[in-house]
Amino acid sequence: MSYYFGRGRSKFTPYLLLLPGLFFYFLIALGPSIATSIYSLTDATGIQGSTVNWIGFANYKEFLFMGQASRDNFAALGRTLKFCFYVTTIQFAFGLIAALLVNQKLRGVSFFRTLYFSPVILGVVIQGLIWSLFLYPLGGPVSKFLDLFGVRSEFFGGPPNVAFAFVMVVQIWANMGTTMVIFLSGLQTIPDELLDAAKIDGANKWQTFRYITWPLLTPVVNTNLILNVVGSLQAWQLFLVLVGYRAGTQVLGYLIFAQGFGQTSGSMVNSFRQGYAAAASMVLFVLVLVIGLSIQTILRRREIKLLG
Amino acid sequence: MRKTILTSIVLATVLSLVLVACGGGTPATTTAPSGDTSGAATSAPVAVDSPVTLRVLVHQNPPMVDFMTSFNESFMAKYPNITVDMSVVNANDLATVTQTRLTANDIDVIDMFGFSNASQSYMKNVDAPNWQQLIDAGLLLDITDEPFVQNYAPEAIADAGTYNGKVYEVNLGRVSYSGIFYNKSIFTDNNVAVPTTWSELVAACETFAAADIPCMTAGGADGWPIFVGAYGLIGSIYPDQAALAEGLWTGAIKWNDATSMVMWDHMKVYAQDMIEDGATGVGADAAAGRFAAGLAAMLPAGTWNASIIETAKPEFEWGYFPFPGSDNTADNQYLFGKYDQGWVIAANTPNKDASLLYLTEFSDPDNYQAFANAVGFIPTQPTATLNTQIGQEVAPFLANFRVGLEQYWIAPKGAGQYANPWATYFVPFGTFEDAKTLADQVQADLQAGLDANK
Repeated sequence: MSYYFGRGRSKFTPYLLLLPGLFFYFLIALGPSIATSIYSLTDATGIQGSTVNWIGFANYKEFLFMGQASRDNFAALGRTLKFCFYVTTIQFAFGLIAALLVNQKLRGVSFFRTLYFSPVILGVVIQGLIWSLFLYPLGGPVSKFLDLFGVRSEFFGGPPNVAFAFVMVVQIWANMGTTMVIFLSGLQTIPDELLDAAKIDGANKWQTFRYITWPLLTPVVNTNLILNVVGSLQAWQLFLVLVGYRAGTQVLGYLIFAQGFGQTSGSMVNSFRQGYAAAASMVLFVLVLVIGLSIQTILRRREIKLLG
Repeated sequence: MRKTILTSIVLATVLSLVLVACGGGTPATTTAPSGDTSGAATSAPVAVDSPVTLRVLVHQNPPMVDFMTSFNESFMAKYPNITVDMSVVNANDLATVTQTRLTANDIDVIDMFGFSNASQSYMKNVDAPNWQQLIDAGLLLDITDEPFVQNYAPEAIADAGTYNGKVYEVNLGRVSYSGIFYNKSIFTDNNVAVPTTWSELVAACETFAAADIPCMTAGGADGWPIFVGAYGLIGSIYPDQAALAEGLWTGAIKWNDATSMVMWDHMKVYAQDMIEDGATGVGADAAAGRFAAGLAAMLPAGTWNASIIETAKPEFEWGYFPFPGSDNTADNQYLFGKYDQGWVIAANTPNKDASLLYLTEFSDPDNYQAFANAVGFIPTQPTATLNTQIGQEVAPFLANFRVGLEQYWIAPKGAGQYANPWATYFVPFGTFEDAKTLADQVQADLQAGLDANK
């Protein structure tokens, strides 16, 4: 008989050692999540000392079924999915291409790795400021360049679909470095012998990538996809910094922030509605859970099929 | 092995205790006094004997921030035991930061806009505004009996700082947001007189366009300066804004009726023809700078921009007139606005004496006059005079000063995202080209909320 964790009382040691970590997890992650689910059934304002009343599913009813605002919420939900699809697809592709490029054994490649990764370390406000200046419509560099072709854009301040598209660009720029680094770590675990053997067998670059590199990247592909999907579904800070609360641009994450911190949809008055925002958070949570689990299941099956 | 288990238990326990201690409540040294100030409030602020750091929160308004920086230096020189730590946040973030810092008991004196948007009898199922939520939660200090409150006009205290018979805020001034700054040189050079009707305004803009001068600039990047810039236009069509709010709720007024259509038609011209191309990327403060630099003939904006313009270019000659949104001159005589910045004190502040001393000092008539001069507010202290240029500009219209719609309006729950009279819905800021289509959408979004609360 094998004893994984020792015998007698000592078998409890690993569990005891896990306690601090679990305590942190409950304190920082699970605890607030449970509290959010409870708050979603109340009229909490988020203000210390204010009365909190149990209102059942009224927040959910309002978010999902009340008037035009609920239809706007569904529109925000659709926009969130659209944002997720485009950002994930493009960020994933660009991250992979960048990783393949900076995985070459060339002089100065470290510089490009740093360059591509550098946006990740900038704060959201800095990222927003950089792009606001870059895309300044009254004489910014991009505006001047577009003027050469007689093209004009209002960028972040323009129609909602235009502003939305530019936020996607910034989101991809800001996070592609992380995708690249994860791919790079995967590429560097592929043994040179396999690549050399493929070359000796006459495989061209595409065939090497298709039949050697890509299958062996499966674990990092899965990681990147999940991170990109979850990250883009939860994105909201760039919308706050670059666009603000504007009709036709909100994604669910920003809607939650706006509702919780007093930028009520369709209203000029600020009221704090954290119970309502918590209900919206739970809707987002379910969305992320369903999409995340579905993707994970599909990817897991693919991984087993390819790598056993 | 027993030793290992024992060590693990001790380690886990110690870590847990440390974490609990870290995540726990307020340290004993900052234990808050009760929010109930009855009894103590009638006395003048006591001297602060031990060193205190007074945490003050204000919103971003360049002339106000400059004045406060200077005032704080004087205050600290006069009261060496008090160090003022002033935080400045964007106006859009003020409510959020106020809530979080009050909840964390991390603030003493707070800049808060005048109390507004209280629920009215004709409204159904609306939430209390955030200032009321904060008072109901016991987070703002009752300053009813503080001597410095007497320095302010009773109507300002009643309108903008009182709730349930108790005073929580001293409001520092009214502002108008419904006027237009104009460049006197550009007007003179192009033989354009100050417009008093909508047709004259349109004609003026056409003259400037012919001379290749942008008619108006505004802070489109921040969004709100565009629709706030048109509040005067709404006021010209609906001079009684309290009645407008009630009419919209009761259905007596609709955003797509014939009267409102005049407003939308004018608003489309304002958004698409009067505001300069590229204003979508200009911030609110930058717009005032562009105007002062002579890059546009007009700036539809609030009176608080006067100080920014004067600071940017002291020799610049400008004027200010009410937005002529109607072709009937009599409709264009009003200035609409609101009670702007005020001071409140955190009920749980551990620095109550220093906070009261700070407001007492600020409310001294000389200091207040200097503040009004610097910021350009229409004063709320009766002894203060309106001797700034913006004061002179708005003086002829002060008898017709009215509180604007945004101070009364609360949208019904369930109303859609277009349920506001905002110029930003028009292209290039939004998606609507046609005034009638937009008016129908705005009314439909409002009606959806009204129907949902029947």
